Amino acid sequence: MSAPTLRHDRALAAGLLLYARSRTVPRALVVLLATAGLAVWAAHSLNAHIDPDRRVPVVALAPLFAAAVIGSSLHTASDELDRTAVRPWWRLRALHLLALTGLAAALLPVAVLGHTSVFGPPAMIRNTLGGTGLTAAAATLVGARLSWLPAFGYVSAVYLGAAGARGGASGVWAWPVQPEGGTASWATALVVFLGGGALYVARGARAEGPRS
Amino acid sequence: MTLVAERRRERSRHPLRAEVVRGFGPWAGAAVLLMLTVALASNSQQWQGGWAETRERLHTASGLLAVPLALAAGCWHGGRERRRRTEELMTVSARGPLARLLASALPLVLWVVAGHAVATVLAWLATWYRATGDSPYPVTPLTDAVVLASAVLAGHVVGRVVAWRLGAPLLAVGGYVGIGVLTYGTGENALAHLSPVLDGTTASVPVWWQPAAMAVWAGGLAAAAVLAFAARRRAVAVLPLTAAIAAATLLVQTGDGLWHTGPVARRQVCDTSTTPQICVNARYEALLPQVRKALSGLTGRLEGVRNLPVRFEDRPGRPARDEVELPMLTPIGRSVVRGRLTDPRQYAWEAGMALYGRAECDRTDPRVQRIDDAVENYLAPSALEKDFDEMYAKGSEADRAELREQLKARARLRGMGEQERRAWLSEYFATADECTPDGVPTL
Repeated sequence: MSAPTLRHDRALAAGLLLYARSRTVPRALVVLLATAGLAVWAAHSLNAHIDPDRRVPVVALAPLFAAAVIGSSLHTASDELDRTAVRPWWRLRALHLLALTGLAAALLPVAVLGHTSVFGPPAMIRNTLGGTGLTAAAATLVGARLSWLPAFGYVSAVYLGAAGARGGASGVWAWPVQPEGGTASWATALVVFLGGGALYVARGARAEGPRS
Repeated sequence: MTLVAERRRERSRHPLRAEVVRGFGPWAGAAVLLMLTVALASNSQQWQGGWAETRERLHTASGLLAVPLALAAGCWHGGRERRRRTEELMTVSARGPLARLLASALPLVLWVVAGHAVATVLAWLATWYRATGDSPYPVTPLTDAVVLASAVLAGHVVGRVVAWRLGAPLLAVGGYVGIGVLTYGTGENALAHLSPVLDGTTASVPVWWQPAAMAVWAGGLAAAAVLAFAARRRAVAVLPLTAAIAAATLLVQTGDGLWHTGPVARRQVCDTSTTPQICVNARYEALLPQVRKALSGLTGRLEGVRNLPVRFEDRPGRPARDEVELPMLTPIGRSVVRGRLTDPRQYAWEAGMALYGRAECDRTDPRVQRIDDAVENYLAPSALEKDFDEMYAKGSEADRAELREQLKARARLRGMGEQERRAWLSEYFATADECTPDGVPTL
């Protein structure tokens, strides 16, 4: 490998590391791991093998908190400084969002292995994607540090209001509490993820001044 | 002159006004309102029309959803000075730390409680529009409002202490899990009575001091946190903490005695002009005309028939010897939705089955079964009867023979004269709950 290429790779790696640290990504990774661990413990202690429906709190709350972690990690204290740099930020934003979402979507389903058809890994992955889409959109609209608020309000309202709602339009609006990986709930979660993700990747998190 | 007057007016605005009308407060209030509205509206058929059901649903939504959100909102707001980097600046102000904390936290409390209040009023309006009897229960939402205010204050203190970006969402999810475990924890869980979610059934009401004890328990904890963090003499925090512990002890010690059947639920309103008489629980008294109309076919055909129960009763507990239970109107969302009987025919069939069900018998003689079927067909047939007949008609030879016998029995009962049928039915109802076929009159 030639010297300039090596230097370029090292610079790229250093840049990525700086980017990750400026977004407290290492801490977000640790919290995501801890969330997955807690989800495994919670699903186990709920004795879900008796009734898979008992996993609803885990399937609703663990992805919600993971989405809050990812949403909060989109904040940077060096926002104004970043704006002075001439580089395509959208790639880093996309990489950041996809990497953390992928990690959460890979870790959280471990908690609900077995009984795959009812509140199993597909539901967990769907909720992780949908929740992250919500927080990513919220980060663009209200700021990354408060991005958990809309997702938390929506998912918890649906959790209580639509418990047991099946069929009809409930697959669309009550997607976080649908037991199986139904087409409507998956389509909604994917649209939310792609829409929210695209909005964030294109615009970045809303600038938060000292008054926010 | 005009300019001077305008300036004076501007100057006279209270400094707290900006805290109240601007910033995070309105958003938090809107979030609470929106969340409660969505949670309530999406299953309104299960509570609209019943005041106790509305109380329960509001109480659960407030305790399980709004309290974690209030904790998180308080926590987020508590970290505001740190995010603005104005902590040091604030310490040089003339007011003490407690006044500064309250000036910052109370506007948020106001907005969160306002969001809850608007959601409560909306739910009440929805129920008032389709009310079936009873009256609103204002004490429970008031207690919930105190619990919410306490949650905001406690969250605010956490936000001041914990300098972590994920503090607020963690408090929200942790609050949810904590309340869930406290309320629905496994086994005999005496601590559940400390939960802001747990309540009795729709027929029960709390003892008069339960709301006060719950308010002291939640408010005492929040006040202790606030005073321990910001009071000039922090030891003062022991006072509210002691009050909270005393209230908690009272709640846990009393346990299930905190709730008793409400005076309205013990009463019933009756229509004594029918046979049997029809009584509906006073909580659903407005449904009496609909129930009477649904059962009019059944009661009309039973006029003049003897050996019947005196009335359909609808009070908690088992019916008396000469009464039968009115088919269940509750839980709202099945037989009754938004103050209307959903399926009067099915309801009449259920009422008929309460009169001649033989549900307690392990085995019924085929001849008696045919007679029961004929009575059922004459008085209040099931909506599924036609389907069953068609199924038998397509079944085996034995099924078809049984159907022929059933049709004959039905035709014989319908073909009787009025007097003859009344006498026969009187004889039939004398043995309607007996499992042996001996006394049952032939058809």
